Amino acid sequence: MTMKKLLRKVLLLDLLQGLSLTFRYQDPKEIYTEQYPLQRPEVAERYRGAPRLNVNPDTNETLCIACDLCALACPEHLIVVTSERNEKTRRKELTTFTYDLSRCMFCGLCEDACPTDALELTQDFELANYTREGAIWDRQTLEQGPQPTVYKK
Amino acid sequence: MPQWLQSVVDYVTKSNNTPGWYADPVASAIWALIYIILIFTGVSIAVIAMNWLERKILAHMQVRLGPMRVGPHGLLQPIADALKLLIKEDIMPDQADKVVFWLAPVTIVITAFTVYIVIPFGPTHAVTDMNIGLLFMLGVSSIGVLGIIMAGWASNSHYPLMGSLRSSAQMVSYEIAMGMAVVSAVLMTSFKGGGNFFRQIYGTGGASVGTLSMIGIVRAQEAQQTWFLFKFFPLGLIAFFIFAVAMVAETNRAPFDLPEAESELVAGFHTEYSGFRWSLFFLAEYAAMIAVSSIAVTLWLGGWMRPFASLHGPNVEIPNYWSGGAIDLAFALVPALTFFVLALFAFIGTVRMPKHRAFRVQTIGLAGFALALGFIGLVLLEPHVRDRVQDIFWFSLKVAVFMYMYIWYRGTFPRYRFDQLMHLGWKFMIPTGIAVLILTAALGLGS
Amino acid sequence: MSEILKSEQSASSVKHLELEATPSPAYLDSDELILNMGPQHPSTHGVLRVILKLDGEKVMGTECVIGYLHRGVEKIAEHRTYAMFNPYVDRMDYVAAVSNGLGYCEAVEKLLNIEAPPRAQHIRVILAELNRLASHMLWLGTHALDIGAITPLFYTFRDREEILKIFEKYCGARLTTHAFRIGGCLYETYEGFEDECRNFVKFVRPKIDEYETLLTTNRIWVERTKGVGYISGDDCKAMGVTGPVLRASGVKWDIRKAQPYSGYQNFDFDIPVGTNGDTYDRYLVRIAEMRQSLRIIEQAVEKLPEGPVMAKVPKVVKPAVGEVYHGIESPKGELGYFIVSDGSTQPYRIRVRPPSFVNLQALDMMVRGALVADVVAVIGTIDIVLGEVDR
Ligand code: SF4
Ligand code: SF4
Repeated sequence: MTMKKLLRKVLLLDLLQGLSLTFRYQDPKEIYTEQYPLQRPEVAERYRGAPRLNVNPDTNETLCIACDLCALACPEHLIVVTSERNEKTRRKELTTFTYDLSRCMFCGLCEDACPTDALELTQDFELANYTREGAIWDRQTLEQGPQPTVYKK
Repeated sequence: MPQWLQSVVDYVTKSNNTPGWYADPVASAIWALIYIILIFTGVSIAVIAMNWLERKILAHMQVRLGPMRVGPHGLLQPIADALKLLIKEDIMPDQADKVVFWLAPVTIVITAFTVYIVIPFGPTHAVTDMNIGLLFMLGVSSIGVLGIIMAGWASNSHYPLMGSLRSSAQMVSYEIAMGMAVVSAVLMTSFKGGGNFFRQIYGTGGASVGTLSMIGIVRAQEAQQTWFLFKFFPLGLIAFFIFAVAMVAETNRAPFDLPEAESELVAGFHTEYSGFRWSLFFLAEYAAMIAVSSIAVTLWLGGWMRPFASLHGPNVEIPNYWSGGAIDLAFALVPALTFFVLALFAFIGTVRMPKHRAFRVQTIGLAGFALALGFIGLVLLEPHVRDRVQDIFWFSLKVAVFMYMYIWYRGTFPRYRFDQLMHLGWKFMIPTGIAVLILTAALGLGS
Repeated sequence: MSEILKSEQSASSVKHLELEATPSPAYLDSDELILNMGPQHPSTHGVLRVILKLDGEKVMGTECVIGYLHRGVEKIAEHRTYAMFNPYVDRMDYVAAVSNGLGYCEAVEKLLNIEAPPRAQHIRVILAELNRLASHMLWLGTHALDIGAITPLFYTFRDREEILKIFEKYCGARLTTHAFRIGGCLYETYEGFEDECRNFVKFVRPKIDEYETLLTTNRIWVERTKGVGYISGDDCKAMGVTGPVLRASGVKWDIRKAQPYSGYQNFDFDIPVGTNGDTYDRYLVRIAEMRQSLRIIEQAVEKLPEGPVMAKVPKVVKPAVGEVYHGIESPKGELGYFIVSDGSTQPYRIRVRPPSFVNLQALDMMVRGALVADVVAVIGTIDIVLGEVDR
């Protein structure tokens, strides 16, 4: 053992270095914690969170053309799209759209498959629910987006 | 106030201010009662404070915030936890040995608190002054391990059993090293000056003698005008170092927390405990930490003595307030100043509180806390209080430093393995302890 | 059934007999103790159950019981199209999801005989190396926590957060990223991606030094890890152990160099190799690997070519009849995918060779004769993720 190593050992330098590191970290500036409900995290633009069924902002009509591609693309088969043929326009029209959030893995395949950008995974991440049924979203919820409870005093 | 009461009060207060007052049975009985109540509340408050501080300091070392929700900056968190523990279901395992299971936490708590009987918080602030104080303390504090073994055995479960066996082996080996260090400090009491002092007080004529009395040990440091930490440099320091390591091992704290190593033994000896019984273990652990730190402070850090106790400085005279050395005066103001600084911190915290409706109550609470701290500071400026509380303040401050070290170790070091712990104890600590003891004795021959 | 399991049964039958009587000390007075570690135990890294046969604190033998996290990932693959199965592989080794996705996508690409364009390959390398760092950081934190050092965990998690932020910005998810698609990457890099990677490298270098300050020279850490969980290079090879565990035993085997994929041949990096094959060397190897990953990221960001990120892939992935094996160097070792195609849109069979599962075999050899505390250290040092062990 060299002299230097011996001295390090006797003077406990290895331990003291560690102690000084943790001591320096006590500086409140180093704190990394976010205080969640007060400080909301900035979610990235591409974040895959709560799904939304987009509507045309001018006419308030859904962008979905009921093509069922999202349902086909989903590995979990959790999207159910039903449609009705409009006799006048000869076009399919969306009637219901259910999305079982409890089984979704937010992979984004449905979003990729959608030809009209109707289905979109948004930056909302507060998806907690009191019931299992609450996790199954219907067309109305999907269009409005999640409505998390706002706690009042 | 009726006259007899007045005379009792006079008698008692006067007796408490003269050295050697423990010889008076009546006065010491009354004072013992008072101190027992004070110590019990004091230690309980200290444990609560320690709980909060440990979480906070550890959190800050780990770039976290720690408790923030219950009360301003989580100040009420320990109280909330205590309440939770009290109303939690108290589970008694079906296969457990009921009586022993019940007895174990009680044993630990009783031993942890009994130790405080001999701890001198000041020259006259102690429940009693036993002439075998140190022995009593070491003896009683090692009964704590019995409680741990009982807990592990009674649980009738693998992890607790292993934890308690670990702890018994650990205690045995570290007790010896600790003993060696303690004896070398006791030896020091008999050197130069110290001996004469005891001859005066206790009338043990003849050659210079040492003492085992806790108060006597600090008195010896006073008489020799040095803390034993610096005596025979570096012997005192090494003895202190051995004690400081052994004391961490004795209290089962990181990096020697093998009996409750949570990553190996789940929770060690108290795995099967819950609710109130568990909280007794918790209380006892922290009380024991404070107790052993107090021994260290008494033996090596001059007990209640303030730093630089031999310097007095030029005489100053402030009518009705102070007459004596300027340095004495400066140090006498430190307790009050400490509380003012704490109050300032709390006040800054109040100002920095988020301005949000949900935080109004908390902000008011923190402001109240700041005011309370400031008020305590003001009270400490009052001459009578100042003179009586000073010693306790210095003692507590030194103990607090040890408490911080405990947290600091926990935040920094990995945990020793069982055989390495034994290795350290038997192959390093005990030989060094014996060597220090012999050297101290040899050096002491000259003085 | 092994000897240990049998003795466990006999132990439990003893217990059963004694249930009526008050427990007597004689019950505990046996030479050997069967201790169930897990599946609910703080340091079995998930739901691993290790049955330990103990003599005092000495480990006489172990038996791993796995399967508590089995989800049948390989079976699911038989009912999903190739593209649909992609997100599932993220959920095997969830701390290194990007590597899993990389391996799967490359395996399918091999089956289809296509190659991702250079830009996509570079992006893949960057993300995979970032993921290696993230995985090693998580390993370091939890491993140190097992050995009793609670603080490194928070430092590593803080720094890992920066990596997860890059992932989130690039592909929209932090953990189960689903970052790559068959044939390349779905996403272009976002604005400022290169700078963020460069800054991250600069930011994290001193942080790795900090972890080392806390651990590398710390005498307690050295004592706890040196000579613990020894395994020789030959034993590793015999058992198929790969990754840092193999390299720490002195075998220079890294698929990134041996069978380069995704353009790893274009980067200049070293393979850290240990000599002693103990827990301390595995620690050093992983720390050195983190530094090498930083080097690769730096180079890949500098060289990031322009061009498309997606190769020409048919809309419906329908490989010809055949089979393919593709192995990559995941943070934990060789991660291989064996895909059998029957010519339909869905794989006939996918078999995953998970490094954690194979490496876990070595546990018994590493801890025999050691103490209980070492079992915890060794489980940590093998770096298992139960999602991958059980699939
Ligand atoms: S995100 Fe994935 S799992 Fe969820 S609905 Fe879309 S395709 Fe299905
Ligand atoms: S893919 Fe898009 S347009 Fe088609 S059904 Fe789904 S949401 Fe509607």
